Amino acid sequence: MILARGERLEAEQTAAVLAQLPDWLAETFAAEPLDPLCVVEACHTLAQRVASGEYDGLVRMVLASGVATPAQIESAALFFSRENLLYKLKTELGAERFPVQEAPPCVPFRIERRIAPLGVLLHIAAGNVDALPAYSLVEGLLAGNVNLLKLPQADAGLSLLLLAELTAIEPRLTPYIYVFDTPSSDVETMRQLAEFADGIVVWGGDEATAAARRFAPPNARLIEWGHKLSFAYASLRASDGQLAGLAWQIVTTRQLLCSSCQGIFVDTEDLSELHRFCERFLPILDREALAAPPPEIGIQARITLLQYTERLENPPGRLLFSGERASITATSDSALELAPGFGNCWAKRLPHEKLPATLRPYKGYLQTAGLLCPPEEWAAYSEWLRRAGVCRIRTGEHMSDPMSGEAHDGEFALRRYTKIVETELPAAAERPAGSERISPTEGSPWP
Amino acid sequence: MSYRAKLFGWRDPYDLTGSDALFVDAMRENAAFHFQNCPEYRDILLRQGFRPELLKTADDLSRLPVLPTLYFKRHELYSIPKRRMALRSTSSGTSGEMSRIGWEWQDCLHALRMVLRVTRNHRLLSPLPTNYIVLGYQPHRSNQTAISKTAFGFTFFAPGLRRAYALRWQTDGYTLDLDGLKETLLRYSRQPFPVRTMGFPAYTWFFLRELQKDGIRVRLHPASRVCMGGGWKQFYAEKVEKEALYALAEEVLGVPESRCHEFFGAVEHPILYADCREHHFHIPVYSRVIIRDARTLEPLPMGETGLVNLLTPLVRGVPLTSIMTDDLGRLHPADSCGCGRPSPWLEIIGRVGVRGIKTCAAGAAELLGGAI
Repeated sequence: MILARGERLEAEQTAAVLAQLPDWLAETFAAEPLDPLCVVEACHTLAQRVASGEYDGLVRMVLASGVATPAQIESAALFFSRENLLYKLKTELGAERFPVQEAPPCVPFRIERRIAPLGVLLHIAAGNVDALPAYSLVEGLLAGNVNLLKLPQADAGLSLLLLAELTAIEPRLTPYIYVFDTPSSDVETMRQLAEFADGIVVWGGDEATAAARRFAPPNARLIEWGHKLSFAYASLRASDGQLAGLAWQIVTTRQLLCSSCQGIFVDTEDLSELHRFCERFLPILDREALAAPPPEIGIQARITLLQYTERLENPPGRLLFSGERASITATSDSALELAPGFGNCWAKRLPHEKLPATLRPYKGYLQTAGLLCPPEEWAAYSEWLRRAGVCRIRTGEHMSDPMSGEAHDGEFALRRYTKIVETELPAAAERPAGSERISPTEGSPWP
Repeated sequence: MSYRAKLFGWRDPYDLTGSDALFVDAMRENAAFHFQNCPEYRDILLRQGFRPELLKTADDLSRLPVLPTLYFKRHELYSIPKRRMALRSTSSGTSGEMSRIGWEWQDCLHALRMVLRVTRNHRLLSPLPTNYIVLGYQPHRSNQTAISKTAFGFTFFAPGLRRAYALRWQTDGYTLDLDGLKETLLRYSRQPFPVRTMGFPAYTWFFLRELQKDGIRVRLHPASRVCMGGGWKQFYAEKVEKEALYALAEEVLGVPESRCHEFFGAVEHPILYADCREHHFHIPVYSRVIIRDARTLEPLPMGETGLVNLLTPLVRGVPLTSIMTDDLGRLHPADSCGCGRPSPWLEIIGRVGVRGIKTCAAGAAELLGGAI
């Protein structure tokens, strides 16, 4: 199923849509630019409908597929609320969300600086978070772009449905939303789509990025949201409550997200102190794991094989603390690595003064650090973590909680989806002070 | 005569009960050989408090420490010096890592005796000159994968007239020649000889689909066969019901289901499992299967799903005595199959792991692998 100008079409019509697209795009660009506020209002209406239970059948389907928890759906719906989207616009676009007039030093003229959409964005979405493709497209809309979305093959139809609803709610959005389900292996169609794009937004790492680089035309900006790794950093004085929060995060995200905790670095040099920490954390982690549904047999089997193989390898300094369902592997090294997941994490020593040097090799892959320490040490520890290169510091419990207006991997998405346009203002073109329509007017919903 | 030699000479390849005591003897003999000649293997056994002489009855087999295929992918283990190796093979390396296995001459000889017994039992041997289509690699010295060697070996079950390969060796590597293969098939179909195809089930499926798409329908010689082996590997998402595949083979090639065969085996467990007419893999005398709990690794009763532990005393080159694959499977009693073979059959249910969910954290770790 594909979506073009508000109409749901069969995938066979992709070629016909692509043939029409140049004319449609020309028409869209010649018309009045998209007002971000109409995007905000449409999303808000959609979020309210989800909250009021209008899509319960669909929500149940998503829950049943096991890719999202009710809390995640609730927070996703909240994300599309007016309050959150306006906050996002304000934070990410900054002062330039309204045209700014200035007299720069050393030039004899004034300029107007404003943010403008890149033009056309091609989103190549990953399949690991269900509503992510739709979310990526909404970000493109907020920045004023025409959006071509290529759905991941794992998409269960949720994104298409949400976006079709959005165009039904606000028909002005229809020329800005096109959804395709072209498989990545159809290089020819992907290349055609890429030809239209000013920016190509790629979610996922390895194959997705490599493929996008192959078909991206040289005049399109490649915007990559790559794979990241996250960890927790614990002071020996972390409270049981903080450990419980982290355990909850590890179990509920199943350690699958970029922001999921893979393991815990403990602020100590002493291996026996690390082992005591594991003994303390294991029952807390196990309690959370036992409260959650057990992993399916194939996943459990993979974890068992990994751990059993490690036991055979018997590497020095490695010790497995095994609970009824969860486990912690203590090792004597300090490497940041992927954990088996599903409540099975690692614990390693890493004194805080060694944080920058130890994590330096992982530059570009670091995302969230969940910090577990007494409140009075928070400031000092977070400074060490910033020096180590992480771009997001949260309590263990909140490591994977999304928040409106937050930078993604250290960057504002809306900034990457836009460009700055500067226009010289000859004296006659300047608007008299006080009469400009371009600053927020009284009663405007703009933040 | 060694216990192994006796076992691989056993008359009925599915007489599990009759061969039980001999199997245990052969396993003890094989474990003792590796215990003496492979220090890593000895360490693993000793750390788990096990010695080969503890293998006395069939019940003791589950206590013999198991080596997962992942272990062979990370470590090269040999019990004979490399110069004594007659043959070396690797797994297909579908996930990047491969197992490296070495064989001594005696291993190859016993394997050959097994292949003859099993293929004769399944009436796969034929004196009719046959044209072959291999939906896999053309043999080449640069290709050490067991699957390419097995597929080539298969082309001797009936005297070969011609062999055509889907992946042909050109001067600088393999290229996929589907069009050429289609033409070859059409040419074969006009000749008065049977045709046999051999390849991964996924490759076979794709090839049949290609033929169907092009509207090609041939009626091959009635003694023709469609043979498959090696599982679905990275094509798991495409996995189709066997019935659909057999129906397509009948439609496109005119080969009935009774002449479609699947084989099972692994480079780490080089025992030939051939499916019966019900398409079940009965356990042959050369092998035993223990299904283990996915969490505790304890042996499970018949019918329950778990990790597949395969045992065989065939190989002396590498300690493949008791290995565990990445598959999930379950055992069914012999009498649940109508073919009459007196041994239980193994059903492979799928591979371990997270299917369909690509995690971003896992992706980062893959990338890191190359970065530092």
